[in-house]
Amino acid sequence: MSVPALRVRNVAWRAPAGPPVLDGVTLDVHAGEFVAVMGRNGAGKSTLLDVIAGLRRPAEGSVALAGRALDEWHPTERARVLAHLPQMLRADLSMRAEALVLMGRYPHAARWFESEDDVRIAHEAMERCECLDFRQRMVSTLSGGERQRVYLASCLAQQASVLLLDEPATFLDVDQQLQCFSVVRGEADRGAACMAVTHDVNLALTFCTRLVVLADRGIARDVSAEAALDDPSWLRAFSARVSLERGPTGTWVRYQ
Amino acid sequence: MLMRRTSMTTWAGGSAALFVAAACLLPFVGPSTLDWSHVWARQDPDWSILLELRLTRTLLGLFAGGALALAGALFQSMLRDALATPYTLGVSTGASLGAVLAIAFDWHTVAGVGGIWAGALAGASLILFVVMGAATRHGQLSSSSLLLAGIAINSVCGALILLVHGLTGISQSFAISRWLIGGLDAVEPRTLAVYVAVVVATSALVMRQARQWNLLAIGEAWAATRGAQVRRALTTGYIAGSVLAAITVALTGPIGFVGLVVPHLLRGRLGGDDRLLMPCAFLLGGVLLASCDAVGRTILAPAEIPAGAITAFIGGPHLIWVIRRGGTR
Repeated sequence: MSVPALRVRNVAWRAPAGPPVLDGVTLDVHAGEFVAVMGRNGAGKSTLLDVIAGLRRPAEGSVALAGRALDEWHPTERARVLAHLPQMLRADLSMRAEALVLMGRYPHAARWFESEDDVRIAHEAMERCECLDFRQRMVSTLSGGERQRVYLASCLAQQASVLLLDEPATFLDVDQQLQCFSVVRGEADRGAACMAVTHDVNLALTFCTRLVVLADRGIARDVSAEAALDDPSWLRAFSARVSLERGPTGTWVRYQ
Repeated sequence: MLMRRTSMTTWAGGSAALFVAAACLLPFVGPSTLDWSHVWARQDPDWSILLELRLTRTLLGLFAGGALALAGALFQSMLRDALATPYTLGVSTGASLGAVLAIAFDWHTVAGVGGIWAGALAGASLILFVVMGAATRHGQLSSSSLLLAGIAINSVCGALILLVHGLTGISQSFAISRWLIGGLDAVEPRTLAVYVAVVVATSALVMRQARQWNLLAIGEAWAATRGAQVRRALTTGYIAGSVLAAITVALTGPIGFVGLVVPHLLRGRLGGDDRLLMPCAFLLGGVLLASCDAVGRTILAPAEIPAGAITAFIGGPHLIWVIRRGGTR
């Protein structure tokens, strides 16, 4: 058995002097997996991603990245392996989209200016996120969806083998949501371990390989995408008004 | 990308050329016209007016304006606050309080150093530690806690300045008011040399980390997951910005506006990349302050208008004009 890209063991996290948000969370994510992290608002989805990214220190338990405890990584070294897309990011930024994507190259080179290689990698990432056309525009003039694609491109430019994306499809139109998730799936197929927070059941079932549902401070369900189609009981963990229905053209998510 | 580099070179080169031009030309501007033959022959008084009064004053203006504009740009990025100034985090108000106490109690020299200079540095260092202590919680430091602690300490020092001001005699009170406007004056060449050395070294340290300030301008989580060490960055940024602000305030008084307006306006023109913004803000901030001082010492000659008042007179309306034109973001 290969070493998992991410190994989360008995993680608990609570705000200083607050009740626990996560308690006893255990999970392994292997290279090539694309995990949808789901659950109701406040279930701890973002907190889990933050703990794995090293942004929040767990009160108990441990996180290991490629078999090595998170604390033992130097921040720059870790950033070459792990990329994280936060949920809320600044919108009023007078910086060109291209410069923002080039920030993903920061852990790779300590130079003052990025190299031609860095620029090439950034442009490739922008191409894949369909935002290369507005690389010279200021981030503050982009629409919400356009900006989100630029931020995603910046994460891809980091060329990390672990991608943690907190609602990467926010503000995106339907076509771009599909594009975003297929890009991430492409990363997983090339051997990255990916986790994305999403509320879109269809997107998760279409592109992800595995679904993790958080509820009551822990993991309520952890199922593969195929198993999720067969047994829809995992849907109960976040809504009573959603069901799966089999039709001649496939399985549908039905809203009531 | 190619076009990008070209415009970067133009801006940086143009700013540097203006800085050098200001250093060469502004010493010749002043209330009394210099006699060129005397200057050539290095005869007094013209030669010493040029060298000891005008040149030191111009250089002080260039480097003080640069230090303030750079500190402003740094704090605006670091705190993600477009209205941050070198004075936002309390250190310069601390420096002012120290200087005001020195004036009020007639401390002309302390341990061989000028009393105002010593008072300002002592006040600034004290406040530096107080703000850092107040902003650190559970071993964590964030830009929002720094901002809040700085503003709180600012208002306390401001109140103490008013109190001291109100309790002193007429002549001290006048000296305090004059000092609080902020202005340039001739300085000892030795003091100037030390000042310039500290400003240049600190500025180089700040600009070297420009990519890190760019990351922090987006967010602390963003910077951390791209490999920046956020706490260390905030601490160095805060100390470096405070050193720039404090030693400048100690020599010139709290000159307003340069630190807010210069980086703010440049950000609208150049974009927020600190690799270009910071050097340009330094160079053009220096040119602005030295030019304002040259205007201030000539238009009402022989009376002088302090540079701090001129920067506010020019800076305020200019900012309003830019906002109305929609040129700032």
